[in-house]
Amino acid sequence: MSQLEAKASAALRAELDRLAHEVLPGGRPALQRLLPLFAGFAGDAAAVYLQGEEGLRREASAGDGPFPETLDELPAASLAFAGGLLAWSPPRPAAELPAEAAALGLAVAAAAREVQLAHQLRVQDFEARARGVQIEALYDVGLAIAGTLDFERLCEEILMRAVSLLDARRGALYLRDGSVMRLHRVFGGEAAESLDPDAEEGRELLSGRPRPSCCALPGTAHLLGVPVEADGVVKGILVVGDKESRRGVGPFPDGDRRTLELLANQAAIALENAELHRESLEKERLEREIELASEIQRRILPKGVPEVAGFELVGWNRPARHIGGDYFDFFPLEGGARLGVVVGDVSGKGVPAALLVSTLHSSLRLLSERMSICPELFVRLNRHILDSSASNKFITLFVGDIDPTSGELVYLNAGHNPALLLRAGGEPARLGPGGLPLGLMPGVSYRAERLVLEPGDLLCLYSDGITEATSGADEEFGVERLASLLVAQRDRPLGELLAGIEAAVSDFATGQPQADDQTLVLLRRDAR
Amino acid sequence: MTEGLKLTIERRDGLAVIYTEGYINNQGGEEIARAAYSLLDEGYRRLLLNLTGTRIINSIGISILIEIIEKMLEVEGRLAFCQLTPTIEKTFHIMGLAQYASIYPDERAAMAQLTG
Repeated sequence: MSQLEAKASAALRAELDRLAHEVLPGGRPALQRLLPLFAGFAGDAAAVYLQGEEGLRREASAGDGPFPETLDELPAASLAFAGGLLAWSPPRPAAELPAEAAALGLAVAAAAREVQLAHQLRVQDFEARARGVQIEALYDVGLAIAGTLDFERLCEEILMRAVSLLDARRGALYLRDGSVMRLHRVFGGEAAESLDPDAEEGRELLSGRPRPSCCALPGTAHLLGVPVEADGVVKGILVVGDKESRRGVGPFPDGDRRTLELLANQAAIALENAELHRESLEKERLEREIELASEIQRRILPKGVPEVAGFELVGWNRPARHIGGDYFDFFPLEGGARLGVVVGDVSGKGVPAALLVSTLHSSLRLLSERMSICPELFVRLNRHILDSSASNKFITLFVGDIDPTSGELVYLNAGHNPALLLRAGGEPARLGPGGLPLGLMPGVSYRAERLVLEPGDLLCLYSDGITEATSGADEEFGVERLASLLVAQRDRPLGELLAGIEAAVSDFATGQPQADDQTLVLLRRDAR
Repeated sequence: MTEGLKLTIERRDGLAVIYTEGYINNQGGEEIARAAYSLLDEGYRRLLLNLTGTRIINSIGISILIEIIEKMLEVEGRLAFCQLTPTIEKTFHIMGLAQYASIYPDERAAMAQLTG
């Protein structure tokens, strides 16, 4: 600017200084007011160019001059100042400009410089604020560790934060599924369904400088990938593609890798927390389900025993877990004229066993309303259980039909433990074993047996959880011990006899976990 | 997740509402700028950006929104925002947009202020 400075008289410079600083607002408004004045003294038109990232760009112009948006070469008539260039038209040497133009040129340059400094300040302020957003975002993801336990929402949040923080156009989050990383979330286009972190491409992606041909985000020119890692375990891969700028897309600078790593570290902890929460919810759901199934079974088992003239009855069940596979029931037959009694044992325990118990209960109740306790009933039950249960499930079942008046007992047994019959004053006898369990195979036939319970006779139905209760010495309680207890305490009320057997079994298996459900049903015809 | 940005414009009571759906990045920001400048040319001086369908914005998108705000201030117009996600609202505050443009929780609150 020395040629202009030389031209500008001290007085004129002082006046312009006053004009620029007191009358005119600074920066862009001053530039817009002063440039046309300069153009008028310098010729027909003028323009100011400011140095930017991409070279000299036109900031302001006045008049109709040959001033392109950006400069590839210097204009015919121009003068450089710090950070910019003042050009005028028609071209003539600066030394030939009138003194007014020279002085105005100084003011234009000062205003342009102010515009440029203001712009630089704004850029710096913007960058500082953008860094603030990054720090805030990292902090937010950290907060999500304690706050966001919704796993899917967290994954989406992590990916969106990564894409927006790094000014990426696209992104993807992969999570470990065995030995591969499976695509869990994608943003802005398609992504490969899975990545092998140990294969060349996976290693290349995690190295931070994958080739554009890397398949993670097809069609992207620039990729950045980091592991999502907690406690030395790589849980996933966070990938972003194509760094945006106002000019298009480009590679991610080195600093972005560190930012993405910090985000991924926070994300790993947050995801682990959310995963634990998800598992805990699932466990809670299962426990609720088991509790519900347990409640259903409690409702299936009789709450008490029916009053039957001439008979004393008791029944008891202790499941090995919340829900057992044992079942017993008393139910009226022929409108209450006869009594049905049933004891069954479903293979397995837990929810599946309970569901089958439920099926058995409803089927038996329905069928027994339509037909007597006979082999055909068992054939239909067998078919129904086969159709409605898993192939490895079966049921052992004893069903008795008692005429309380005559003491007649008609019974069928599908593979259940033989009932024990203790005749008044006699020795215990096992009732025949019967046919195969229900649900084991189709086409099985069954046979009904008949006997008469005389006054004082005692019938004991039980599940193998009683006889197979095991002591610390790995000895089974056995049928003999059960029979001995029945003989020894045969004259006691059935409630006391049952409590005695229950206590004896518990004492026998002290310190051992209950391996199977235990069920006991006792019936005694009153003595005359 | 949505790719690109979808814009819908409604003109009412001398005010134009621009609804966005998708990523406000370089491309999305440019689309908003084109729509906003076109509305300025139509004579609208009050614009409301309803970001109800936008959950993600990057710094390039923000810089374009700042340019739009500056342009509106130059013509003594007014640009306001509503329906921002908490993350975007926080970003707007940190980036300084909230100093020059009003942010409302929803469209009703924004309309009450802008048309009142």
